[in-house]
Amino acid sequence: MNVLHRICPATGLKIDRQAELLMKSHAVMATVALLVGGITAILILLTRWQAVHLLGPVWYYRALTVHGITMLIFFILFFEMAVLYFTSGPLLNSRIAAPRLGWLAFALMVVGAVMTEWMIWTGKADVLMTSYVPLRAHPLYYLGIILFAVGALIVTLQFFATLVVARRERTYEGSVPLITFGAAAAAVIAVITLGHGAAIYIPTFLWSLGLMEVDPQIYRMVWWALGHSSQQINVAAMVSVWYLLGALTVGSVVLNEKISRTAFVLYVLFISMASAHHLLVDPGFGPAWKIVNTSYFMYMAVLASMLHGFTVPAGVELGQRLRGFTHGLFGWVRRAPWGDPGFSSLVLSVVVFGFVGGITGVTIGTEQINIIAHNTLRVPGHFHATVVSGTAMAFMGLTYYLIPLIFRKKVAFWPLAKMQPYLFAGGMLIFSVFMSLSGGFAVPRRHWDITFASAPFGLEFSPTVDLLMGVMALGGLLAAVGGGIYILITVWSVFFGVPLDEREIAHVDARYPAGTRESAASAV
Amino acid sequence: MSMHGIPQGLVNPPRPLSDADEARLPHGRLGPAPGTLILVLIFLAAFGIYYFANWKLLSFVWRIG
Repeated sequence: MNVLHRICPATGLKIDRQAELLMKSHAVMATVALLVGGITAILILLTRWQAVHLLGPVWYYRALTVHGITMLIFFILFFEMAVLYFTSGPLLNSRIAAPRLGWLAFALMVVGAVMTEWMIWTGKADVLMTSYVPLRAHPLYYLGIILFAVGALIVTLQFFATLVVARRERTYEGSVPLITFGAAAAAVIAVITLGHGAAIYIPTFLWSLGLMEVDPQIYRMVWWALGHSSQQINVAAMVSVWYLLGALTVGSVVLNEKISRTAFVLYVLFISMASAHHLLVDPGFGPAWKIVNTSYFMYMAVLASMLHGFTVPAGVELGQRLRGFTHGLFGWVRRAPWGDPGFSSLVLSVVVFGFVGGITGVTIGTEQINIIAHNTLRVPGHFHATVVSGTAMAFMGLTYYLIPLIFRKKVAFWPLAKMQPYLFAGGMLIFSVFMSLSGGFAVPRRHWDITFASAPFGLEFSPTVDLLMGVMALGGLLAAVGGGIYILITVWSVFFGVPLDEREIAHVDARYPAGTRESAASAV
Repeated sequence: MSMHGIPQGLVNPPRPLSDADEARLPHGRLGPAPGTLILVLIFLAAFGIYYFANWKLLSFVWRIG
């Protein structure tokens, strides 16, 4: 056995030892972040559920700050860094460039995350995830985020360096696989995003030290180029994971390489402009700027999602049909491996992301309609369907393959693992839909107490809201059970799990990407 | 067939495709992925209904004239 790499018995790919260790480390940190974010999610949920109203205002906003930054930044980015290592190193049969730099980046990310969390939990940064100026947090809060972002930027640059290494050393033939191409799109968006992060967090850090002024409107504009674009890294990474899970689970084919790759390029070109929809009710920008960004440029990115929303399931269908599941229109659906948590996660992620997250997002991102949706629960109803039901669900599905392939352990509590995607996605579907419906009654987002109990004015919502938010809470609790099961399975598998007998996954025709190729049969 | 603790895609991976598989694939009027085409049309219908309903809601609170 070579100390620098091993050969995967299932895929035949060369797994670089350093890449493997870095992937494991990032995946473990992602799970820790998910646990912290999940606990705060339950606390927030039980507070917004008016019948329980668990936390007081101080701890509610503190928990909300932790939840936002931990889930949307730390959990997602730690996992995405693992995806970048996987798609550049093992997937291209290559060693990774500058592994020591990778460890430095990982250390920066961990230190930054811990510093930020510490500031929030100790009450020195109750500023919510957006930390809008002039809300002022402790300087170490901003410094923590800057360190985390620098670490993530280093990993992203390391990803590009590994692509160069793989190309020079001819570790693959032809173009990079579509999955790596998608990850590259995510990496480019990450560079754009982290650049904006530096452009706003460094001045804000200096402002927190009293060294300069920051204009609140400029802050909002530049911050959202970080805040929203960071979620577009998720989208590109999630779509790459969709293609990967399709290939791994049912051998789906790529319907048309050019269309799929063009869609990723559309993300890179247009998705950053979509950040403008967060500023649709801001008085500082004119309607032309808002409409051009949100109703023209943004739709090019939406077009990209719709292309992937067609090519991913079509690739699954064609892969199934080519293997003989040709009965009727949906025989390929009935014969699919629904007991494989990787496959069920893929389907549930695509469906909830598209039908709930996609449709609501495009609609409330329209300038005129936004006026009846802005700052209501319709907004978190939308992004929980995209980021949680879409991205997190896809990442969870991939985990069930990474545990045997990278950690070389069996997935613990297998019957629970088969059930987990349905519990999580079902709970999140109920949660998102009923949250959106509550927002339709103008229930504000983020607000601690919608009864305005001690306010100098009164405001009553329709009694229907109590029912809607009660069902929303039950859906959220169901999803929390699903999320808890996921954490239990991953932690137990990784630290106490049964080692994998590699003969169980060794195949004579070990190859990867299995089925990830353009099919001559595709006529699109 | 999945083995306890290992996903099906690893224990029993999808078999490699051959040119013969592609030659055998029936082509209908709806193309190589007719089921997906139907699903996409359902999606577009849902999108259209939701989008229209929101403009209708907006018209209730933002009257012109």
